[in-house]
Amino acid sequence: MSKKKICMVGDFSVGKTSLTQKFVNNVFSEKYLTTIGVKIDTANVGHTKLIVWDVAGRDSLSSINASYLVGAAGVVLVADGSRPHTVDDLNDIWSTVTQRIGDVPAVVALNKADLDDWGVGDDKVTEFRSLGWDVFNTSAKNGQNVPELFERLVEKINA
Amino acid sequence: MSQIEELREIIIGDNAAELGDLKNRLENVERRTTDVAEVLSPAIDAEFRESQARLVSSLQKPVSLGLKKAIRAEPREYAEILYPVMAPSIRRAIAQALSSMMVTINRTIESATSVKGIRTRIQSLRTGIPYAELALRQSLLYRVEHIYLIDRETGMLIDEVAAADTQSLDSDAVSAMFSAIQSFVQDSFSKDSSARLTDLRVGDHNVWVAHGPRVMLACVILGDAPESLKAELYDTLDLIRTEYSAPIAEFDGDNKDFDGVPNLMAPLLQLQLKDSAISKQAKSGRAIVPLIILALVAGFFTYQWFDRSRKVSTVEYYLRQAPGIATTNVYWDNDQLIVEGLKDPDAKIPYGTLASYDLDENELRFNMIPFRSLEVDMELQRFRQEMDLPRGVYLSARNGRVFLYGEAPILWLSNNDARIRQLSADRRLDISNLSASFESVSDMLRDNFDRDDLSRIRMSSLVEDQLTVVQITGELEAGKLALLSALFAGSRWVSITARQRVE
Ligand SMILES: Nc1nc2c(ncn2[C@@H]2O[C@H](COP(=O)(O)OP(=O)(O)O)[C@@H](O)[C@H]2O)c(=O)[nH]1
Ligand SMILES: [Mg+2]
Repeated sequence: MSKKKICMVGDFSVGKTSLTQKFVNNVFSEKYLTTIGVKIDTANVGHTKLIVWDVAGRDSLSSINASYLVGAAGVVLVADGSRPHTVDDLNDIWSTVTQRIGDVPAVVALNKADLDDWGVGDDKVTEFRSLGWDVFNTSAKNGQNVPELFERLVEKINA
Repeated sequence: MSQIEELREIIIGDNAAELGDLKNRLENVERRTTDVAEVLSPAIDAEFRESQARLVSSLQKPVSLGLKKAIRAEPREYAEILYPVMAPSIRRAIAQALSSMMVTINRTIESATSVKGIRTRIQSLRTGIPYAELALRQSLLYRVEHIYLIDRETGMLIDEVAAADTQSLDSDAVSAMFSAIQSFVQDSFSKDSSARLTDLRVGDHNVWVAHGPRVMLACVILGDAPESLKAELYDTLDLIRTEYSAPIAEFDGDNKDFDGVPNLMAPLLQLQLKDSAISKQAKSGRAIVPLIILALVAGFFTYQWFDRSRKVSTVEYYLRQAPGIATTNVYWDNDQLIVEGLKDPDAKIPYGTLASYDLDENELRFNMIPFRSLEVDMELQRFRQEMDLPRGVYLSARNGRVFLYGEAPILWLSNNDARIRQLSADRRLDISNLSASFESVSDMLRDNFDRDDLSRIRMSSLVEDQLTVVQITGELEAGKLALLSALFAGSRWVSITARQRVE
């Protein structure tokens, strides 16, 4: 079985931890996230064992937790669909990612799709698609598109 | 000179001599051998530089076949050559086996006889953790439980080995977490990026890390290991780094190229027991000491064996005596004496008696199937509970039968008659000496008849159908006779033969 490291990135409170929780086997307690700024869980997707790094952060990737990106085979870019600025921030976050580890496979989760006040325009989605990202409207609350999100990323990594 | 030769002479001119020379070289085996010999060694060197793997793989088979053949042909010579290489490790292995055997024997004596050993035994009883496990934990100086080979950059686990019967979390997550902690420590406490976490203590566990430029070897140890283990850790890391340099450089989450790594790491899974007073004495070298130890061991086991089998027979003996208990198997399971068999729910286990033979209630475990014992003692006990015997009525057992006898109040007889009938029909109860008491019958008569009538009736005893019956005889007028019959209607314990009185 091959193993792949991936990282969850995105603004504070967009749902990185919630999406991870929804998908993985929990090994460590949540307190690691706040104490050392990262928590690692694993999940099996087909023949690939995903090692998911969930990084805590106040805002976009800081220099410290950018070092956690090293060796990642892919990233999940997470934004909160009800807060448009978190979606806009993805471009900055992506440039931090590429500076650090290059142009790795990525998928976008526009999270909290269960909420009514959705603030993502079609143009934004089109822009993301043109960058080669697959875009999913996800909800960590009801599970919508969560497995699809991770499975797609694995497909892209193994492609 | 033929025309052809002339023509050739014209075309190649002076070169003819050289060609002849070349031809000669090719055809002359001796010459060719010298030529090849000249380039053989440089050729191997060049190929080795070019592709080490290719050369090695093409040489591997012939070399190993050659070696095998050579060794088979001259075993003595090769044994002598190899002896200096192998002897130290053989010696070390034997010494290690002997010393660990010594430690085990010491440990057994010590733990079986010491106060601590007894306490451990009690603790084992209480917690259910096997005695051996507890004793091991207490006498353990250290045990290497887990070794992870981790890719430094990604924190990905390359390979791992674990001591038997130790369990751990998801190793992939553990190793990633470990390297995250590593960089966290680096980022937080040190500006110097070469500073590294090498020791980590979590409760009883120590984590030691040997760092290489691309990989690290993390070693989880229960207890306190000697510093020398660190050197071994680094030796192993260096070995892995040299033998697997290419796979390490190319590692991307797939460890199929790391086949032999667990074998290299496995020798690190060591354990060391605490030194004890006895083992120090043993090391003092007096030859008598091992003998004493052996004698003690033998003595102890013999005593234990005696003690244990004595307890088995005690239990068997007293349970056989106890009514309503039938044992099929009594045996020791660790420190529990297991009793298997059948037990009547009403039967009582004679704990008091067993305790006086040094058998604690906690030491015994009963795996009993409930059953109804027809043993007379059990029957007796059960009937006594069931029937609430009135004064003058007795139950007793004789010759394997239960007897219900005496003179019973007629009312009690009527109330219990259905049950008594059933039990005696089953031949479980003998009632040939049971009868209604004259007193109770006459009380009933007195309540219902006047003095005149009473003077006209008599009571006597007779055996009817193996039953002792009170017979009422005499003469009464028609109405009174009907009353008399009604009073004892349906009772087999009273037989009325009184007649109608003719005026
Ligand atoms: N309604 C809704 N709330 C969500 C969803 N995902 C996360 N949240 C909430 O958003 C908050 C932040 O989530 P968290 O996972 O901690 O975000 P992180 O900082 O990116 O790890 C929490 O209160 C979550 O309960 C979602 O899909 N729908
Ligand atoms: Mg979080």
